[in-house]
Amino acid sequence: MFYLIGLGLGDAKDITVKGLEIVKKCDKVFLEGYTSILTVGQEVLETFYGRPLIVADRDLCESNIDDILKEAKVKDIALLVVGDPLGATTHTDMLLRAKEFEVETQIVHNASIMNAVSCCGLQLYNFGETVSIPYWTETWKPNSFFEKILGNYKRNLHTLCLLDIKVKEPTEESITKKVRQYMDPKFMSVKEAARQIIQIIENHSDETDITIDTLAIGLSRVGAPDQKIKAMALKDMQKLELGPPLHSLVIPARNLHPLELDYLAQFR
Amino acid sequence: MVNFTVDEIRGMMDKKRNIRNMSVIAHVDHGKSTLTDSLVSKAGIIANARAGETRFTDTRKDEQDRCITIKSTAISMYFELEEKDLVFITNPDQREKSEKGFLINLIDSPGHVDFSSEVTAALRVTDGALVVVDCVSGVCVQTETVLRQAIAERIKPILFMNKMDRALLELQLESEELYQTFQRIVENVNVIIATYSDDSGPMGEVRVDPSKGSVGFGSGLHGWAFTLKQFAEMYADKFKIDLVKLMNRLWGENFFNATTKKWSKQKDNDNKRSFCMYVLDPIYKVFKAIMNFQKEEIDSLLKKIGVTIKHEDADKDGKALLKVVMRTWLPAGEALLQMIAIHLPSPVVAQKYRMEMLYEGPHDDEAAIGIKNCDPEAPLMMYVSKMVPTSDKGRFYAFGRVFSGKVITGQKARIMGPNFQPGKKEDLYEKTIQRTILMMGRYVEAIEDVPSGNICGLVGVDQFLVKTGTITTYKNAHNMKVMKFSVSPVVRVAVEPKNPADLPKLVEGLKRLAKSDPMVQCINEESGEHIVAGAGELHLEICLKDLEEDHACIPIKKSDPVVSYRETVSEESNQMCLSKSPNKHNRLFMKATPMPDGLPEDIDEGKVNPRDDFKTRARYLGEKYEYDVTEARKIWCFGPEGTGPNILVDCSKGVQYLNEIKDSVVAGFQWAAKEGVMAEENLRGVRFNIYDVTLHTDAIHRGGGQIIPTTRRCLYACLLTAAPRLMEPVYLCEIQCPEVAVGGIYGVLNRRRGHVFEESQVAGTPMFVVKAYLPVNESFGFTADLRSNTGGQAFPQCVFDHWQILPGDPCEPGSKPYVVVQETRKRKGLKEGLPDLAQYLDKL
Repeated sequence: MFYLIGLGLGDAKDITVKGLEIVKKCDKVFLEGYTSILTVGQEVLETFYGRPLIVADRDLCESNIDDILKEAKVKDIALLVVGDPLGATTHTDMLLRAKEFEVETQIVHNASIMNAVSCCGLQLYNFGETVSIPYWTETWKPNSFFEKILGNYKRNLHTLCLLDIKVKEPTEESITKKVRQYMDPKFMSVKEAARQIIQIIENHSDETDITIDTLAIGLSRVGAPDQKIKAMALKDMQKLELGPPLHSLVIPARNLHPLELDYLAQFR
Repeated sequence: MVNFTVDEIRGMMDKKRNIRNMSVIAHVDHGKSTLTDSLVSKAGIIANARAGETRFTDTRKDEQDRCITIKSTAISMYFELEEKDLVFITNPDQREKSEKGFLINLIDSPGHVDFSSEVTAALRVTDGALVVVDCVSGVCVQTETVLRQAIAERIKPILFMNKMDRALLELQLESEELYQTFQRIVENVNVIIATYSDDSGPMGEVRVDPSKGSVGFGSGLHGWAFTLKQFAEMYADKFKIDLVKLMNRLWGENFFNATTKKWSKQKDNDNKRSFCMYVLDPIYKVFKAIMNFQKEEIDSLLKKIGVTIKHEDADKDGKALLKVVMRTWLPAGEALLQMIAIHLPSPVVAQKYRMEMLYEGPHDDEAAIGIKNCDPEAPLMMYVSKMVPTSDKGRFYAFGRVFSGKVITGQKARIMGPNFQPGKKEDLYEKTIQRTILMMGRYVEAIEDVPSGNICGLVGVDQFLVKTGTITTYKNAHNMKVMKFSVSPVVRVAVEPKNPADLPKLVEGLKRLAKSDPMVQCINEESGEHIVAGAGELHLEICLKDLEEDHACIPIKKSDPVVSYRETVSEESNQMCLSKSPNKHNRLFMKATPMPDGLPEDIDEGKVNPRDDFKTRARYLGEKYEYDVTEARKIWCFGPEGTGPNILVDCSKGVQYLNEIKDSVVAGFQWAAKEGVMAEENLRGVRFNIYDVTLHTDAIHRGGGQIIPTTRRCLYACLLTAAPRLMEPVYLCEIQCPEVAVGGIYGVLNRRRGHVFEESQVAGTPMFVVKAYLPVNESFGFTADLRSNTGGQAFPQCVFDHWQILPGDPCEPGSKPYVVVQETRKRKGLKEGLPDLAQYLDKL
C-alpha cells in the first residue's frame, strides 16, 4: 500500500492520529522536502514518530518515483507531505502512476495553507484563483501571476499568493550540464513578493486597478505558535520584516464584508 | 630601425592620412616572407645585403626550420615618397598636406591553409592587402580563400607577381608567353574580386590593373621588383608622353612598330606588344647577358640602364651578379612601397566604408561616428584580434587596431569579450591599460599612447580576454563584430600528461594555448577528457608542439586525431513528439524536419542570421526556401551558441503564457543543438517546429528546471523519429604535380573516398592541378601517402569546404555511421548502444 500523508502546517504534532498510526506501521517512510517545509526539522519528526525518515527531493519524487511505487506493491510505504498532499502541492501524477502499476493507495488529508489562510479573517468562499510568485532571475521575469491577481480583483475576489521556495533547485547553468549544482536554499518573504509586484505595477503601460496603495496581507508560519499576520498597503509591505519562513501573501478583494474588515482591523 | 626613435614613430602616428595598414597574403610558398624582407630592408631594419635570406618576420625557430610562416607578425616601416610621385595620390584623405613620409604597418601572415585563422586576424586590423602570387603556379586555392576573405572584410588588394626569376631562368618562357601568364593571373584575381564585390560598391574600384600601377612584378628572392610606373618613368622623357598615358600604353593590346614608330591596337607582323618590347625585353637582355657571361654585353647594358657595380661586387658573375644588378636597377622595396603608398587606402579612407562591417551597434552612435571619421578625439574603440605570447611565460600581448580615439598607458577602459551584450555585465571588465606597446617583428617598444588608425599591443589585457575583444571608453559601446573564420576546427585529438601528476600543468597549458592561437579550441569534456581541435593535421601538430614545449612544459600523450561530426535528420519526424515535464504538468509537442539545401550554408555565412530584422529574414526565407512567411517570422532562435545552423520555430497558435517559457525552451534547444542525441555532436541543418504546448497555469510549476530538460527530451525524440544521419567534414584538396604523377593521385584519392572534380594544366607550364573532395576523416597521413605514390612530386593543400552526409543509417548496426556513433560515444564516456526513443518520448 502506498500512503500519501499530510503533515499539516505547524510542527510535528500536527499529523493526524490516523496518519501517525500509519507512519508507525510502515516499512519505509519518505519525507517530501521540496514543496514546503515544517517549522521543525527532520530530527524532531523522527523522535516524535520514533522511526527514521528518508528525505525525498524533487528528482526522487518526479523522476525516480517508479521504483518506490513498485516496491509499494508488496510493502507499506508512506510519503509524508507538509500541508495537504493534494493541496497547494499536487501529487496527483504520483497517484496516476501508482494506478498504472496497480498499487493501492490511500490519502490522509490535513490542513493546508489553502484553507488555513482563513486565519486572517477573509472568507474562503471569496477567494479566487491561487497564484504562486516565482523568484525572478536576470532573464526570466514572468508576470502572468499579476494578471490573475488583477482578474480576481476585478471580480471582487481575494487572491492567495504562494511564495517561491527553493530547497534544492539546480542552478540555471547546471541544468544543461551532466553534473548538477544546487542553489542555496531560499524562501521568498512577503517583502520580496511585494517588491516584485510593485515592479510590475511600475512597468505596466497603463493604470492598473491594483496600485502601491492597495491593501495586502502578509502571513508567516501559519499554523505555528509564532504565526504572524500583518495588513498594510503594498508599498509598506515591501519594507516589512515578518520573521523566518514560510511566508504567504494575500491581496484582498476591493470591497470587503464588514465582518472581514472587523477581523482584519486587529492586524493593521 | 636605424634612424627611428619611438618618438618619431609616434609623431607619424598622428598623421593618419599617411598611414597604411596592410597585410601580405598568399598561397603557401609563394614567397611572402621573403618579399616582406625586401620591404623591411628598404625601410632600414636589416642590412640590405641579407635581404632574401633572413626571413625577418619568421620569428620562431620552427618557422625558420620549416621555411613556412606559422604566426603572423607585424612590423612598422617608414617610407618617403618623392615629390614627383606625390601627384599620383589624388584623394585628399590619402595624404596630409606637406608630408611625404608614410608609416606603413605591415603584417606578414601564413600561407598554409591550416593557419588561415591567422590571416583572418591580420585582415581585421589592416585596410589593404598585398596579394602575392607565384607567377609560375598562378592563383591557387589559398590565394582564392584569403582574397575572398579580404574582399568580404573590405580590404583593398594590390597584386604582386612573384618569382619572375624562376619563370625566366627555369621555365625559360618567351616574353609573349610570360605576358600571357601575367595577363591570366590578373584576370583570375579580378574574377575572384568581381565575384565578391563590384566596382560600384562602397570601396570604389577594387580590381587590380597593371596599367594603373596596382600590379607589381619581380622576384622577392632576388630583391627586385617593378610596376609599369617604373618603366614608364624611364621612357616618358624619350617619348614625350605623359606618364599616366604611357602606363596605359605599356599594358594590354598595345603594339609598337619600331620602324614606322606607330602605335597600333592590333598585332601585325612588324610590330610588337609594348609590354614585351619595353618592359620584358630589357630584363631578358640583362638576364641573357649575365647568365651567358657576355662580359662586354653586360657592360654596355649596365650603362644603358644606369647601374654601376660597386667595388665589392665587381668580381661576381652568374646568378650572384644578376641579383646585384637587378636589385640595383629595380629595387624591390622602392617599387613595392610606392605601390603601397599610392594604391592602398589610409585608415581615414578605409574606415569610412569599413565601419558598417566592423561595428555591431547603431551606425550613428558616438563609437560608430568615431570609427567612421577615424577620429583620435572620439571615444576609444579598439579591436583585439589576437594574443601574442610574451617572453614572460603564460602572459600575452593583446594585439589589435585602434579604430577610434586613443589608447593610453594607464587609461581606464572597458574590456568587452565576444559574449558581451550592451547593458549587461557578462564578459565585461573595467580595468586600467597597464602598458601600450609598439610591436615590430621580434621586438617591442613601450609607447605612451596610440591614436586611431594604428596597430599596437597592450599589456595586461590578456587576463580578461580569451582570444579577441573590444576595448572602449564609451560606456554605451557595442562590440566590434567578431571575425568569421574561413576554416573550422574539424580535427581533434585528446591529450593527457604522461605523468598524471602533471594534470594541473596541462590544464594551465591548454588555457594558454587557446589564447595564443586565434582558432584552436581547447575543450574540457565533462568526461574529463581534454580535447584540442584545429583546422588540420599540420595546425594540430604545431599546436601540440607549442603545448608541450612552451605552454605546459610537460611530456604529453596524444590520441589519434579524430574528426568532429555533425548530426542531422533526413526527413520530417514520423509522428508528433510529446514530452512531459518532470512534474507532468507541462507538455511540449514538436517535430523536426531537415532544412532545405543551402540554408545551413546561408546561416554559416551570415546571410541568414539572428540579428536580421525578422520581417526581412522571413521574406528572404519565404522567397528562397519557400518557408511559410508567418512561421518564418517566429524563429525563436538559432543554435548552438545562438548562431548555429539549426532553428527553432514557433508554429503554435494561441498558447497562453508561451512567452514566459520561451527562454527555457531556447536554453533546452541550445543544449540539444550542441549535444545531439546520437553521439552528442553538434546538430546541423535541423529545423524544429513547436506545434503545441500545454502549461501549468502557475508560473512556479513551469520554471527552467521543468522546461529546459523537457525541451531537450522532446527535441531528442524529434531527432530520433526523423531518420537521423551523420555529416562529416570534407576538404577541398588542390594538388599540383607533373603529368606523370596524376595517375598516382587518382589511386590515393580513390582509396580514401575522395573524388576528383577538376583536372587542368597550368597554362604555360608542364604542371597539372587536380582538385578533389576528400573526407577529412580520410586525410590523416594523406600528404605522406600522396608523396610516396607520386615519387614526391605531388603537393596537396587541403582546406575545409563543406559538410556532407555520411551514407548509411546510424541506427542500423554495422553501418559506417553506426560505427562512428559507437566510437564517439565510447570516447565521450556515454552509454554504448543506441539512444532509446522511449526515454524521450512520452505517451499522451
